[in-house]
Parts: sequence; structure tokens; C-alpha cells
Amino acid sequence: MTAVPEASVESAVSLQAVRKRYDRGEPVFALDGVTLDLPRGSYTAVMGPSGSGKSTLMNLVGLLDTPTDGRVVVDGRDVATLSGADRTALRGEAVGFVFQTFNLMPRLTALDNVALPMVFAGVARANREARATALLGGVGLGDRLDHLPNELSGGQRQRVAIARALANDPTILLADEPTGNLDSKTSADVLALFDELNAEGNTVLLVTHERDVAEHAERIVHILDGRLERVEELDTVSHI
Amino acid sequence: MVGDLGGEGASNVNVWSAPTGTAGPPGAGAQPVFTTSDVDELDRLAGVREVVPRGSAPLSAVRSGDDTVALQQATTYGRPYFASEDLRDGRAFRQGANETVLNPTAAALFEENVSVGDTLTLTLEDGRQAEVRVVGILDTSGAQDPFEGFGEGPRVYLPADPYYERVVTAPGSGERERAYPAAFVIADGPEAVDGVRERTLDYLRDESDAASLLAPNAEFVAQTNEELLDQVRDILDTLTAFVTGVAVISLVVGAIGIANIMLVSVTERTREIGIMKAVGASDRDVLGLFLVEAVVLGVVGALFGTLVGFGAGYLGTRFVGLPYVVPWEWAVVAVVVGVLVGVVAGLYPAWNAARTDPIDALRYE
Ligand SMILES: Nc1ncnc2c1ncn2[C@@H]1O[C@H](COP(=O)(O)OP(=O)(O)OP(=O)(O)O)[C@@H](O)[C@H]1O
Ligand SMILES: [Mg+2]
Repeated sequence: MTAVPEASVESAVSLQAVRKRYDRGEPVFALDGVTLDLPRGSYTAVMGPSGSGKSTLMNLVGLLDTPTDGRVVVDGRDVATLSGADRTALRGEAVGFVFQTFNLMPRLTALDNVALPMVFAGVARANREARATALLGGVGLGDRLDHLPNELSGGQRQRVAIARALANDPTILLADEPTGNLDSKTSADVLALFDELNAEGNTVLLVTHERDVAEHAERIVHILDGRLERVEELDTVSHI
Repeated sequence: MVGDLGGEGASNVNVWSAPTGTAGPPGAGAQPVFTTSDVDELDRLAGVREVVPRGSAPLSAVRSGDDTVALQQATTYGRPYFASEDLRDGRAFRQGANETVLNPTAAALFEENVSVGDTLTLTLEDGRQAEVRVVGILDTSGAQDPFEGFGEGPRVYLPADPYYERVVTAPGSGERERAYPAAFVIADGPEAVDGVRERTLDYLRDESDAASLLAPNAEFVAQTNEELLDQVRDILDTLTAFVTGVAVISLVVGAIGIANIMLVSVTERTREIGIMKAVGASDRDVLGLFLVEAVVLGVVGALFGTLVGFGAGYLGTRFVGLPYVVPWEWAVVAVVVGVLVGVVAGLYPAWNAARTDPIDALRYE
């Protein structure tokens, strides 16, 4: 195996020659040697055709999965050295994950959904509720606290999911096609929220199929068949 | 009363006749073969304090004032049988008098409760009527002798003279004498009871009127109350073993039920488990959640089961006529076992839930 560069202390996330193999009949490399560095406070978009490995990448960065080969370093911690429980803890604290399919708890209200990660992080009830209320207010859902997910529109659910991702004040925000289900107006709101969070210093990694969404980022990483095809640096100044 | 199974009754030998080789309850298949002469002779045996012949008088109804109730029979005793401590009120009846003693259930049969001093009109099976004065009310409605069985039904007690009317020509004396189906031979003390039992059987087999009156396929039975208690204990032991068996089977079935509900509940919520783990729930958090659920299920089940058990026990004892006792220590055991079953049965599904890989769980539809 070739030597891989040491992870920079500056990096929020660093992938080194990461491979992910699935053994369903024929072995499939969903990721086949990806080296990628996300500096702290950066804003990166991931683009690529369906099945190219984008979600697999997000799962690895989001500590939901472990690589077959290579190194994944999140928030300065090498994932391979962490126990399952430590990974879970780091996931709860450092990473906020916005899923393409929302993944809200169907039987919990918006408020309880947003408070849920804080339950597992051991935050006292009063503090949880105050923070969840503030977060939901921040995404414009201050008047929807007691609604169940099926009483909310798609865009509102996505905003609850974003509020939940922010619950434990993560340094890294991951979003897998967060605007896939949204109309253009709601998309714009959600993207504006990401811009704002990035401006506050959060590292943002966002998967999208849409070029104009990707252009909110500082750079676009193009993936094809589990490999980095090219990295495109954007002139963010011109965008704003 | 002298018929108590324990205490005073430890000196009693219960005598009756039964078809050869049968082992029915006391008095089953008894024929009226013990003549008044036999009773007197038994009374003279060594170690015998007293002999109380017992029979029943067939009735059709009992009337108090304008109030008539149907009653099939009255129990008759040929000697004083009730002691004053057996009676709530009044005294025992005397032989030869038109007197009766009632148990509380019988006294309450009528719209206006019957009390000592009232007069009842008995309608005998053949339509004749007899007026009797109530002289005593018993303390309890439980069985007054081993031939009555359990149950707290209404019972009317009468002196054999004049109400026991079954008579035969006694082979010994050639006279018409009352012939009873059963008797209590009461020994001088518990230590004498086995000898009295032997002598009673010897006399009955060899010299009594009863021996000649007895049908060919029948034999005499003489059983001490101790033997009778052993029989009852045997039956109760079998019953207890049976109930325990049913309880154990119920527990096993209940445990499987809880485990199954938990498995289904875990499977149904696979996606939710995935979400919880994705937002930072540890294996232990998930395990705890499902264990709590299993325990709650166990506690609720055990409490509900205990209540149903109390109810069923109450109805069952009412039905059989045994006293109702709430076994608190067993109720506590039931709740504890229910919780344990909940934990044990919930452990596997909970552990399954906790191990679920969040990615797989999130993909689960
Ligand atoms: N659990 C799995 N078992 C087997 N193969 C898998 C599994 N998960 C993903 N793959 C395969 O890995 C490859 C990459 O999948 P991934 O979900 O990362 O694609 P994607 O880029 O997110 O696609 P899309 O844009 O459609 O969401 C696909 O070929 C997929 O079939
Ligand atoms: Mg995907």
C-alpha cells in the first residue's frame, strides 16, 4: 500500500485511500480509494451519478459505517481506533446528519425529535426543551413545536431534520440531498440556512444532483464509480 | 361439636357401610343397617364414650309464617351432638322433643330471618306436616360432620326421635327399631381411637344386627377422622400440584408471549431504532428502552393476573364452600416472577434491537 499523507490538524474530516467493499454475490467497491480533506469551516458539495458512492461516503464521514480499507479521521480522531460506543458518542457530539428521507421519529413531536439527540447526550430536560425550541425557531418552525412529522409538509420536515442535526452543536454538518424533495422556494430557504451555518464556522458536506445547489459550496467534489473524478474549486466571492 | 375433624374429633370413628371394594367419600352407598340395639351395644364396648347415630329425614319444604322454601332433607342425630360453643344462639335440641337447630344459611333462607323461639312447619316427603320450634342457630354454616361434605348450603338439624323414621325388625330383639346408615363412635380419647376402631369393626362383623341386615356385596367401613384428614390432604396435595403445574405452564406461555410481543415490537421499530442510533443512542440506551418496556409489560401482566387470580379464587372457594384466604405472599411471588419473566423474555429481543446496525436499520422499510 502506498504511503498516505498525515491528516492535517486543521481538517474536520480527512479520508485517506478509503475503500468500501460490499459482498453481495459479486464484491462491489462502493468507494475505491478516496482521499479527501475537509478543512474546518469549509463548505463542500459532492456530485456524481446514482450509485457512484455518495451516500456511502456520507455514512463513513458520519461514523455510521466503517471503511474496508484506508483511514477515516473525524474531528482529529481516527475512526479505526474507536470502539463502537466511542463512535456512537462522537457521532452524537461532533456530527449532525441530515438524511435525504428526513428519518424523523414518526411518534415524536417536532420538539421531541429535535430534543432526541440531546437525550442520548445526557442534556437535562429543561435545557433540551429550551434549545430545541430555539433551534426550531431558527428554522422558522416556532409555531409547529407540537406537530407530529405526518402533520408537517415535506419542507417543514426537512427543516425539523436540520434542527435536529444541529441539536448537539456539531462541528460537521452532513446533508445527503437535503433539497431533493423540496420546491425551489423551500430549497432556497434550506440552502440559505446552510450558508449561514457555514458562515458561523461549521464544516458543511452536502450531496446533490443539482449544479445550482452545489454552487453554494466553495468546491465541488465529483465522484464516479467510487473514485474522485475531479475537485472543482469555485469562486465563492462571485457567487455572493 | 363432637364431629370436629381436629381437636375433640380426633377421638371419632366414623362408621358406615359401603359396596365392597369402593373407596367413595364418607357415607357413599351407605345402607340403613345400624339398629338402635347395635348403637347401644357399641356404646358398651371398651374405650367408647358415646355413639351418635346419624341419618337423614326426607323433606319437601319448610315454612316460616307465610314464607315457604323447598328443602330436600334434614340431618338427624340420635344423641346430643352440638356443644354450646357450636351455637351462636340458643341451645342444642333434645331427643324426643319437637325442636330443631338451623345453620345460619338456613336461618337466612326466609324473608324474615328465623331466630330462636320461632316455629317452623316442616312438610315431610309424604305430605305430612310437623311443627318444630327453633331452639338454636349454629355459629357457622360449614360442614357439621364428615358425611356432609363441603359447601355452606342451608341445613336443618333434627333429633332422630321422633324425626328419623327408617325402621326395621331387628334380628336380635325381634322388635321394630330405628336403623341408621351411619354413626359416630366416640372413643374416650385420641389414644383409644385405634382400639375402638378395631373393636367396632369386630363387633359389627360378628355380632351385630347390621351384619345380618347388610346386603351381600357390602362391607363395613370404620374410619378415624385422622384417616379422613389424610384423604382430604391427599386430594388437596393433588389439587395443589395440579394448580402449580397450570401456573408453571402459564408462566412459560406468558414468557413466550412477552418475548414474541417484544420481537414484533422491535421489528416494527427497526427504523426508529436506526434513527435513534444515528443521532447518538448507544447500544445500552436502546437495550434499556426495550428492557423497561418488557418490565412494564411483566408488571402490568402480573398485577392483572393477580387480580384475576383473587377473583377466580374467591368464586372458586364460594363454589366449593371452602373458606377464602388471600395468599398475600403468593401474590408478591406472582408479581416478582412476572417482572422476572418480563426481563428474561425481553432480554433477547432487546439485545437484538441494541445490536442493530444503524445503516441497515435506516434502510429497513
Ligand atoms: N448495503 C449494501 N450492500 C450492497 N451494495 C451496496 C450497499 N450499499 C450500497 N451498495 C452499493 O454501493 C454503490 C454505491 O451506493 P451509494 O448508496 O453510495 O450510491 P449513491 O451515490 O448514494 O447513489 P444515489 O445518488 O442513487 O443515492 C451502489 O452500487 C450500491 O448498489
Ligand atoms: Mg445516495
